[in-house]
Amino acid sequence: MNLLTRIHEWFSFLGNPVSYGIGYILETIFIIIFVGISFMALIYIFRKYMARIQRRIGPNRVGKFGLLQLIADAFKLVGKESILPKGRDDMAYKIAPLIIIMATIISFIVLPFGDLAYFGSLTITHSKITLILLFGILSILPIGEILGGISTRSNYALIGTMRAVAKDVSFEVPMLISALAIVMVSSRSFVTGNAISGGFNLSTIVTDQIIPYGIIEPLGLVVFFISMIARASYTPYDLAESDSELITGYTTEYSGMRFGFFYIGLFGMVYLGSFFISIMYLGGSNGPLTSDLGFIYLFIKTDILVLIAFLVWVSLPRIRIDKFVNLGWKYLLPLSVINLVYAGLFILYIR
Amino acid sequence: MAHYTELNIGPVHPSIHGILKFKVKLHEEIIEDVEITLGFLHRNAEKICELNYYADNMIYFDRMDYLDAMNMELGYLTAVEKLMDMEVPERAQWIRMIVAELNRLAARLVGIGAFGLDMGMLTPFFHCFIEREKIQKIFVEASGGRQEVNYMSIGGVYQDFNDKIINDIKEFLKEFKPYLEDIYNMFMHSEIFWQRNDGIGILEPDVALDYGVTGPLLRGSGIAYDVRKDAPYLFYDKVNFDVPISHKKDNMGRFILKVEEMRQSIRIIEQCLDKIPDGPYFNNKAKKSMMLRLKGDGEAFSRIESDNGEFGVYVRGNGTFKPWRVHVRSPAFKNISVVPVLAKGMMIADLIVIIGSIDTVIGEIDR
Repeated sequence: MNLLTRIHEWFSFLGNPVSYGIGYILETIFIIIFVGISFMALIYIFRKYMARIQRRIGPNRVGKFGLLQLIADAFKLVGKESILPKGRDDMAYKIAPLIIIMATIISFIVLPFGDLAYFGSLTITHSKITLILLFGILSILPIGEILGGISTRSNYALIGTMRAVAKDVSFEVPMLISALAIVMVSSRSFVTGNAISGGFNLSTIVTDQIIPYGIIEPLGLVVFFISMIARASYTPYDLAESDSELITGYTTEYSGMRFGFFYIGLFGMVYLGSFFISIMYLGGSNGPLTSDLGFIYLFIKTDILVLIAFLVWVSLPRIRIDKFVNLGWKYLLPLSVINLVYAGLFILYIR
Repeated sequence: MAHYTELNIGPVHPSIHGILKFKVKLHEEIIEDVEITLGFLHRNAEKICELNYYADNMIYFDRMDYLDAMNMELGYLTAVEKLMDMEVPERAQWIRMIVAELNRLAARLVGIGAFGLDMGMLTPFFHCFIEREKIQKIFVEASGGRQEVNYMSIGGVYQDFNDKIINDIKEFLKEFKPYLEDIYNMFMHSEIFWQRNDGIGILEPDVALDYGVTGPLLRGSGIAYDVRKDAPYLFYDKVNFDVPISHKKDNMGRFILKVEEMRQSIRIIEQCLDKIPDGPYFNNKAKKSMMLRLKGDGEAFSRIESDNGEFGVYVRGNGTFKPWRVHVRSPAFKNISVVPVLAKGMMIADLIVIIGSIDTVIGEIDR
């Protein structure tokens, strides 16, 4: 019995439509809160870890061991004055951060989170096309970036937007092709050996991974990981908001919580991408002992991936825009196509 | 007709070294033209120097190249002492050499750290600043000041080196030597660092000479010119050190050269610590009660090798307690003027790296 049916039973006296509605809402809130808290913990770990790399101490003032530092930062950001630039396109300017934050948060409810002992399955969306849905939501993000950049009429923001678009265009293609290879491999079930139509369903992809697909398609894993870091704008690929050249790129004219939304969107993107990778390539909520702890397994895998992305962030300088686009089109795209051909040969001959 | 974007980089920008403005004409991301605007930090230091007693001018020189304050003081004092025919005791000269080289190390550490930061490399910056902090602690011990030290004075230094300072320096050098290699490797083992710097910002030797460029920028173009070697002051002719040059002419060559010069600085300090004699640390003619009674007549020019290049000071006196004219030949001003040549046809990201590689200090340019 999963969380949804439990909540449905508690509220069943209100009738089916209402109780299911309440169930979905409460489950979504639960997931978002859990994801938020775990991500805050992860950022705390990262800040300590980054401080170690840089021979600093890291946050240690707010709360015990600085544990509440992030909350203090969030309050500071909310309390800041939002300075509105002159000559802006008001509607676009105000809607852009909302698009970013909404798209990032909504993407989390598509993911198959697996089981957690008492609560049962925590997956919210039981659709056959969650993979396509996820990519659909992700492709909303560039709209927010473009609107935010262009509406402020700043040259820095304009160049930042240009780079953001170049980034999204050149790294979405290898990302999609790598995901397609996964769909191909999972179109034939490992469990039963029969052809199944669940290749676009993330839940099916997870339950089908007796061997993690990362072992079958290591090339796809590498391509997807690089594309994920690039799309999340992490150093060495943070060209769109490269602070040494473009101040903060398309968010230059934003301040206060509007800037905070962009910032959370940026951080959330790498977390989402890591979820995505651990679901598609590392077996998601499959774990060694019991399936009751699938939720925990998923988070552990994801957190390790995020920490790897953070490690890349602190240790490398920023790549230049021409080299960056070259990386997307000249290296990752051919590699992802090779991976696709390999996936085809794999399901033809090896499976 | 091509479409241009005009971008004002500065005066307030996260990566520009100090406050200066670059008006950049961009075609897409390619730089067509760069126009430099200076003067945002102008404090009229040269004129103020005319209004003060000779000994009081130190603090204005501290604030010129604020990262390399010891060398600035040294440049002024060399000129003033020449003007007054003031003898400097041997021990004071060795002490001056040690602190000048230590400060050169400190300034280079800032330069290298900020250079990494210009490329989005966060980590080496902290490592550089932690090492610089140790040098500043030594300065605090010696002079009481961290950055604006005000340590040297006419005819000697403000305070003698005691055993603790000498031990501190020795200990620092012992720790710093392997650490410098670590910092160096942090940069050099990164493929992207090579991509960003190899072949970027090529400065031909003849262009460098035309613009009057000195310091690491000139030596990076393959011309071995170092005032310490070519016109030795203090006791630079009594210590062994090399003047490294690079034939790569680009950012990469300059970076490797700068680190090599730091190694040479360490070599110089070690020899100084061995050779430093006992004796007085200031000339009795310039003792504290007499400090403001010093007169200068005639004119004198001194040149020293600061962190950025050849730092020259011209002092003219008219027989009174105050200088009649003080003029500074600022190396950073000559170095920064070469930016439009280097940046033409490059991308906007390269401009930032080139400025970082030139490593100018705006306090010295605007004075």
